[in-house]
Parts: sequence; structure tokens; C-alpha cells
Amino acid sequence: MVANSSTQNNRLQSQLIGKWWMPAIALSLGGLYLAMQFSATEGAGRESFFNVAHPWSVYVFMSSLVGLLVYGLVRHATLWRLGKDTPESVFANLPHRFKNVFRLGVAQDKVRRDRYAAVMHWSISSSIVVLTLVTAQVAIQDDTPLNFLHGSYYLFFSFYGDLFGLIGLIGVGMAMWRRYFIDFSRIRWDERPEDHLIIVGLGLVLLSGFFVEAFRIEVTELTQHPDWAKWSFVSYVLANLFEIFSMSDNQILWSHSAMWWTHVVLAFSWLALIVFTRLDHLFFAPINAFLLRTDSPGRLSTIPNIEEQEIFGVGYVQDFSWKQLFELDACVRCGRCTDVCPANLAGQPLSPMHLIQDLKGHLASVGPSIQKVGNEGGDTRSVSPISMVGEVIQDETLWACRTCGACVQECPVMIEHVPTIVDMRRFLVMDEARLPQTAQAALQNIEMRGHPWSGTALERTTWMDGLGDVPIFDGTQDYLYWVGCSGSLVERNLPVTKAVFRLLQESGSSFGVLGQEETCNGDPARRLGNEYLYQILAEQLIGTFKEKNVQKVITNCPHCFNTFKNEYPQFDGHFEVLHHTEFLNSQLQSGALKVQHELPDTVTYHDSCYLGRINGVYDAPRQILNFIPGTNIQEMERNMSKGLCCGAGGGNMWQEEVGERRVNHVRSEEAIATGANKVVSNCPFCIQMFEDGVPAMQPDEVGRIEPFDVAEILELAVFGEQDSSIEEKTEI
Amino acid sequence: MHFVVCAKQIPDPETPPSAFKIDEATNTVVPAQGFQPVLSQYDGIAAEAALQIKEAQGDDAKITVLSVGAESAQAAIKQVLAMGADEGVLLQDDAFEDGDSHTTAKVLAAAISNLGDVDAVFCGRQAADWDVGQVGLLVAEALGWPVAILAKDVEISDGSMKTTRVLADGFETVSQGLPAVVTVSNEFGEPRYPKLQQIMQAAKKTVTTMTHEDLGLDPSEVGSSGARLKLEKLYIPQSDSQVEIIEGETPEEQATNLVAKLVADKVL
Ligand SMILES: Cc1cc2nc3c(=O)[nH]c(=O)nc-3n(C[C@H](O)[C@H](O)[C@H](O)COP(=O)(O)OP(=O)(O)OC[C@H]3O[C@@H](n4cnc5c(N)ncnc54)[C@H](O)[C@@H]3O)c2cc1C
Ligand code: SF4
Ligand code: SF4
Repeated sequence: MVANSSTQNNRLQSQLIGKWWMPAIALSLGGLYLAMQFSATEGAGRESFFNVAHPWSVYVFMSSLVGLLVYGLVRHATLWRLGKDTPESVFANLPHRFKNVFRLGVAQDKVRRDRYAAVMHWSISSSIVVLTLVTAQVAIQDDTPLNFLHGSYYLFFSFYGDLFGLIGLIGVGMAMWRRYFIDFSRIRWDERPEDHLIIVGLGLVLLSGFFVEAFRIEVTELTQHPDWAKWSFVSYVLANLFEIFSMSDNQILWSHSAMWWTHVVLAFSWLALIVFTRLDHLFFAPINAFLLRTDSPGRLSTIPNIEEQEIFGVGYVQDFSWKQLFELDACVRCGRCTDVCPANLAGQPLSPMHLIQDLKGHLASVGPSIQKVGNEGGDTRSVSPISMVGEVIQDETLWACRTCGACVQECPVMIEHVPTIVDMRRFLVMDEARLPQTAQAALQNIEMRGHPWSGTALERTTWMDGLGDVPIFDGTQDYLYWVGCSGSLVERNLPVTKAVFRLLQESGSSFGVLGQEETCNGDPARRLGNEYLYQILAEQLIGTFKEKNVQKVITNCPHCFNTFKNEYPQFDGHFEVLHHTEFLNSQLQSGALKVQHELPDTVTYHDSCYLGRINGVYDAPRQILNFIPGTNIQEMERNMSKGLCCGAGGGNMWQEEVGERRVNHVRSEEAIATGANKVVSNCPFCIQMFEDGVPAMQPDEVGRIEPFDVAEILELAVFGEQDSSIEEKTEI
Repeated sequence: MHFVVCAKQIPDPETPPSAFKIDEATNTVVPAQGFQPVLSQYDGIAAEAALQIKEAQGDDAKITVLSVGAESAQAAIKQVLAMGADEGVLLQDDAFEDGDSHTTAKVLAAAISNLGDVDAVFCGRQAADWDVGQVGLLVAEALGWPVAILAKDVEISDGSMKTTRVLADGFETVSQGLPAVVTVSNEFGEPRYPKLQQIMQAAKKTVTTMTHEDLGLDPSEVGSSGARLKLEKLYIPQSDSQVEIIEGETPEEQATNLVAKLVADKVL
């Protein structure tokens, strides 16, 4: 089978970008090699603080900077300390955490998801790091007995100092281009004066550095050691340019000294911005990479001993964990999260960036008083004059979130918006009982009837009609086929359930279903913020699974999949969980299932958030489609980890949307734009959203794109059109 | 002030038609497998009305929930307790079984008299199982109190109850002296979602159970022995529908054909 080409392209590109640091290393090694070749330059070197009257003053600057950094840290830390302990230890799984620091902090994996920013940001950050090292070497050379800045190494040192200075300037240029010359909106959604200060300031620091060097070279190397001077290739060019002005040696020395002081003052002032501006991400980003959860992003934290708690969720800033407060300070206002947020794309009242910034502002404004009142033993909950949930962050903002994880995926400083949002929902639901009527109806339905589909006329066994003997799981079969509420109680999804069932049967797998004994696994309750209800349901179902000796589960629905796989282990429910696309793909690969029919179709594949981005299953469903002769995949603009939510996640299946557009309209439009005749997904919610969104965007029935589950398509390819459950869909 | 909410537990009205079965030999509903009984939806609304008045008064008004029913009806009582009611009494006795609206009302009225200091009784407009809509009226009758039915708004102040009633062709506002009974209609609004703290408090509360002896009722006047209503036959009506697709090239043609068909079938 030939892998789909656009998917492959994507892979290749991301792999190539993954190797962005290769040229840098190659260049540096090349430079070192060349320097080694110049044995004639053994004597190369220079006086460290050439022409500088009071070099010790650098150390005054230095200590003030350190003082400032410590002050800044303490100021921040007192606010973070208002937070509670993190639900899970931040020191568990250390190797993974250090890997994250390297991969996400140092190698900037997330930054690279925007290619332009990848080059720009790497240029700037590597130049800052390398030039700091360059400066440190000068200091070591000057103030310690170590003597290494001479000979080949000195030349190499001059070379890479200039190289990274130049790289830094290129980065600054790219940043200014984006900020001042093109219409690049996301960085301007919350632009502040400090943003100009940082970028222009850095440009000036780098330029002044080159000027200092150029003036020095002009006096000490240009005529005396032109072969040394060339190694500082940027300053060498500059120095030659200065020759035009034919300044006297004294003038040059004066300019050098003036420039040196300017450079030092600029450089230290710029570094001081770390304390006062978002430049603090220099430290906070790698630290937050360390603090990032090491388990699945699909797992929400539990509230232990919930029955004994008095506070549920987060309604006050001091209810967040210190890590959640720390994160607020790490945000750099890059807008990436909001840029990919489905709610924001549909003009709904949620922007994850503004949410984080609003919380940060709130913490800064009320934090100090809360701390003071707390120290005096007062009631910290009455300190804030406005309520955090409701006023600082509006209810409708919290309800608009799909928990799709796109924001978390993109955030270059590893902020986890979803747990923060759900924590506030928990407060709304469990503490305040303030929730949209439709969400309330879904929750009450789960409480009363064990499923969220209020008003359904179907039974959990209706889908079995006409399928003959459906084996009930009794502990002797290998797999439990978990149909789920949507797979059995929503008419549109019955053909999907039937298809999966028939394919499992055809593959000769040993499996059974629970039928009437299935109940909601709690996912909608948890995502809507009712952790209490979730825990009751989860414990109950885990009990049932254990009692029936369930070991392996195949699910229809990515939400059930995620809950069983990532969340049940929190309640000691450990099962091997597969989504039907994973299992069916394995059956095709092993030959247990055989495709018998050609399907001449162009399909577009929609990654559901909870199978794709959150659980990383991108290939299995695509491989199934690639197995089918005649079927070819036309990817949507946003796919795989960048896929856009269908709009239903996070309990939004049961909510009225507020805002300009509906998310499923946006996503349907994207599917239609591929020109495919089918949009294929793997999730009952996605399919329902497309069934609703497509007709709205494509009113003409002729040539309309049709939504299907992967299993439905595979059923067609295995059994043929005459003999498929898909027919029933048109009857509905 | 002391308010009473009458709450009935009923078979889940959302039981899918395919799971709803009747035993025609005994004239009873066969409980659908996997469907728990629920609080009648209008009684949640009645509770909401009582709670809103309690909150508006801001004083230490008390709300007692009463239910005539089996042990399982505890769940319905707890649900209203979780919404914010203070006490619950389950009126449970073999002697109360298989009654009708009249006997149910008699039991409720006895319990209300037993409480002594009740100022107002809140019922649902009808129980969502049989949809009879009599109990509220009969409770008032038995107590000799005034009653307003189908209320969309209820206020209590200065010893009187003011209600806005939903009529077929508009609204009517009536005032009645306390103590009084009101049956609350769905136009009142949705019942609240309980806070978790309250759910847990409600779970800890004990629901008192009372029998005919506690209420001083003679078994012969309640339950099946006291019922005036005799159930003759309980059955699911057969309904048949046939679909005929009206042919036609254009919508106009289809409409013409449809009219011709309706005329031919003497519908028009
Ligand atoms: C055709 C038919 C068949 C029946 N079959 C049975 C049967 O099989 N088994 C059986 O036990 N009974 C049966 N009954 C009796 C039925 O349950 C009683 O009529 C019922 O207790 C009174 O409810 P209602 O439907 O008349 O209430 P409505 O008058 O419609 O209820 C109005 C309001 O009165 C209050 N209320 C009503 N009932 C109660 C209650 N029990 N506790 C507290 N508050 C209440 C509620 O606030 C309710 O909203 C049957 C009745 C009929 C008409
Ligand atoms: S999880 Fe999705 S919907 Fe929620 S804020 Fe993030 S991007 Fe937006
Ligand atoms: S939360 Fe992350 S992605 Fe969003 S603006 Fe802040 S730093 Fe950027």
C-alpha cells in the first residue's frame, strides 16, 4: 500500500524542520576546523578590556542584574506560593521531565510548529546564548588564571562570535518584519510597549556590539594582523567601511570607548527586561517544560476524597495550584493558542491567550492583598472585589472550550489551558451550580438514566436488531467491544456500531458486548466539570469491568477510548484499550480482514481531537483508507496534530453555541474545500457535527460531501454496497 | 414559614417505547429493565417555586418534602433535599398502595395536618406518569384550604399567596389567604441544578418514614381499599401509519397531486 502523499509530505517537512540545528552545528564545526588549519596564527589574541577605563564597572552592572533577577524571582514566587500543591508531584518521572526541558525548552520543539518563527526565534535565542558564552569567556580569560583566548581558538572564537551576532540580527530583522511590515495579526492581539522595547533593544545591543568590535579591529588588527581580523568577518567589513571616514586613531579610540559603554549599558538594560517583561520566558519556558505533565494530555486531575472537600474546582485565584499560577507568568502573548482555538475561529467568546492574560492580570492585582490577608489569618476569599469566575473570566468563555487541546499543543511555553479551564468549570458546576440549561439537562440525564442523550427513543440494544446472535461479554472472550452511549442511543451512529460489529465478526475476533449493562463512563460529566458524578460513574464501571474480567477493550468512540485508557488508571482501572480503527487496521494488516471491493472515492479524513492530537493515533485510520483500492485521501488544510475540532468536544455536544458562527460550520467548510465526496472520521460526535454542518454550508444536496465513519467505509469495502449497514443511514 | 412540597416518584417518562410494557392480565405497568424511577418533572418545578420564595424571604423558612410511595421514593425526596429543601418525609405503607388521586391526597393531607404549622403546599401541575392533575386540588379540599392551579408565578407576602395562573387564552392573577395550596406549571421555569455541597448534605440527611398509624388513618380509607377509581383496562393503543410518497416533477405538480389525493380520500 502506498502511503498517502500529502500525509507523507507533512511528515517529511516536520522531520526536516526537526533538524534545524544541523546547519548551525555544521557551520561551527567547519569554523573550528578552518581555525585549526591556521597554525601560522599561533600568536593570535587580544587584550580583553582593550581601551576601557574602568572595566570593573561591568561587575557592578553584573551584580545589579543578578540582584534584579533575584528580586524579580522573589516577587513572582510570593505570588505563585498562593497556589495549592500540584495534584501530582512535579518530581515524578524525572528522566521524562529532563527530556522535556531539552526537547521543548532548549530545542524549542513547539516554537518550530510555526516555521517562520522557528528560524526567527532560534536565531535570536541561539545568538543570545552564544554571545553570553562569548562574553563569559572574555571574563574568564581576564579574571582567572585560565588563559585560552589565543591562537586558533581565539580566531574561532572571533568567528562564531560574529556568526551568532549576525544570526541574531537576522532574527531581529525577521521579528521586525513580522511586527512592522506585514499584516501578521496574532502577535498584535495583545501588543504592549515592552514588545517594541525588547526587539528594537536587542537589535541595538547586537549592532553596538559589532561597532565596538569594528572600532577595536580598526586600531589593533586591520593593518597589523589582517589575517586575524578576517575571522571577525562582520566587524571586519564594518571596520573597512569606517576607513572611509579616515578618522584619527584618537577619534577611533574615543568612539570605541563611547560605543563600548553604550553597548554595556544597553546589554545590561536589555537583560534587566527579563524581570519586567515577557522576556522572563527565557527562564520560565524551560522551567515550565520541566513542570509539564508527563502523563497523557487527555487526563484531567482527580479531586481525591471528593466527599470530604469543601472547595470544588477553582473559583478563586488561590485555589489554583502553584504550577497553574506559575504558568500564567510564562505566557508570552504570542497568540498561537488563540490562533488555533476552534471557539475563537468561530467568533465565540473564548481566546485562550486572553484567558491566561486575564488570569495573570487578576493574580497581579489581587495576589499581594490575598497574601497579606492570609498572613494575618483573615478570610482570603473575600479579598478580591470582583469574582474571578464570572467577572474576570466569564461563564460563557469557560463553556465555549472544547477541551480540544489545540492551544496546549501549540503553546511554545507549555501552558496547559485545558486543566485550568476545567478547574473553573468544576467550580461553576459543583460549587455554584451555574451552567447552561442544556448542559444541565445532559448531566441530569446522566444522573437519572446513565447516558447524556435526553429524549432518545432508542435502547442500548436497538442496534443489534437484524444482526443475529450478538455475543454478550462473559469474561471468556478476548475483547470487550464497548459501543458507548452515542453508538447505541443516537440513530445516526447505529450503522457505525453495526459496521464495527460485523467487521469484528468477519475478522474472527473473540469479543462480546455488554448490551443493557453499558452505562456512561463519565467522560461528559468530567469534561463539563462535574467531577463528582464522573467519579461515581467511573468507579461503578471499573467495578463492572473487573467483575466481568475485562482485560482488553475496543471502543467506538475516541472519548470512551481516552477515558478508559488515560483516566481510569487514576481509579485503579487498568485495561488495554484500542480504538476500533486501531484494531481493524491490525486485522487488515494481518490479513484477518480482506478488502473485496473497490471504492472509487476521494475522501478527506478528519482527525477527532481525542483520537488524534490527544492520543496520537493518526496513522491507523489513514492506513485503513489506504487499504481500499480506488480510495484516495485528500487532506484538509488543518490535519493531524493541527486538526480542527468538529465543535462537539468538552461537552459542547450538549450546549447551544454562543457567537458569530458554529464550529461545525467552519470545519465542514474546510472539508468541503478539499473537493472530496466523503468526509471520514472516527468519532460519533464528529459525524453528528458534520451531518449537521455540511447541509448548512452546502445547501444543494447534489454533490454534497457525505460524513462517514472509517468503519462504515471499511464495511463497504469488505462486504460491498449491497450488504452494508450504511444503507440504513439514508433511511433515517 | 413552613412550606411543603409534594413530590412523586414516577416511572421514567423517557423509557423508550420499545421498553415500555404492560401486563394486561393484571393491568399493571411492567417496570422497564434498566430504567430507574425518577422525580416527576413538575414536582422539581414546584420545589423550585418553594425554594425561590424561601430565598426571597431571606428568613428561616423551612421546606418539608412529602412523598407517598415505596422505599425507592427516597431518591425523589433526596433530590428535592439536594435542591435545598430542609426535611423529607416518606409516607410509606402497604396500606397506601394501589390508591388513586383521592387516597393519595388523603394521605398527603393527613401528613400536612400532622406537621401542624404549614403555611403553603406546593404541588406539580400533574404527575408525569398518569397526568391526572387531581392531587393538589384534592389535598386542598381535604384540608379545607384555598387552591390555585397551574401557576407560572407565585409570591407569598403579608399572609397571602399571589399566583399568576396559565389559562388557555391568557393569564390570571389571583390572591388567596394562607394557608393555601398551589400547583405549579412548567411555565414557571426550570428547576435548579443542585450544588455538590448540598447533594452531599442531602445524602447525609435522614428521611423520616410515616405509616397510616403515624397519621391516624384507617387502612380502609386509603390505598386500594379507599380508592374510588377502578382501573378497568390498561393497554397500549395500536397505532398504524402508512406513508405514500406523492409523485410529481415540480413542487407545484406535487401539490396538485396531493390535493387531488386528499379530495379523493375525502380528507378535504
Ligand atoms: C389508570 C391508573 C392506573 C394506576 N395504576 C397504579 C399502579 O399500578 N400502582 C400504583 O401504585 N398506583 C397506580 N395508580 C394510582 C396513581 O399512582 C395515583 O393516582 C397517584 O398516586 C396520584 O397521582 P396522580 O397521577 O393522580 O397525581 P396528580 O394529581 O397528577 O399529581 C399532581 C401533584 O400531586 C402531587 N402528588 C401526586 N402523587 C403524589 C405522591 N404519591 N406523593 C407525593 N405527592 C404526590 C405531586 O405534587 C404531583 O405533581 C393508578 C392510577 C391511574 C389513574
Ligand atoms: S482546548 Fe481547544 S477550545 Fe479550549 S481553549 Fe484550547 S483551543 Fe480553545
Ligand atoms: S498561552 Fe502560550 S500560546 Fe497562548 S499566548 Fe501565551 S504563550 Fe502563546
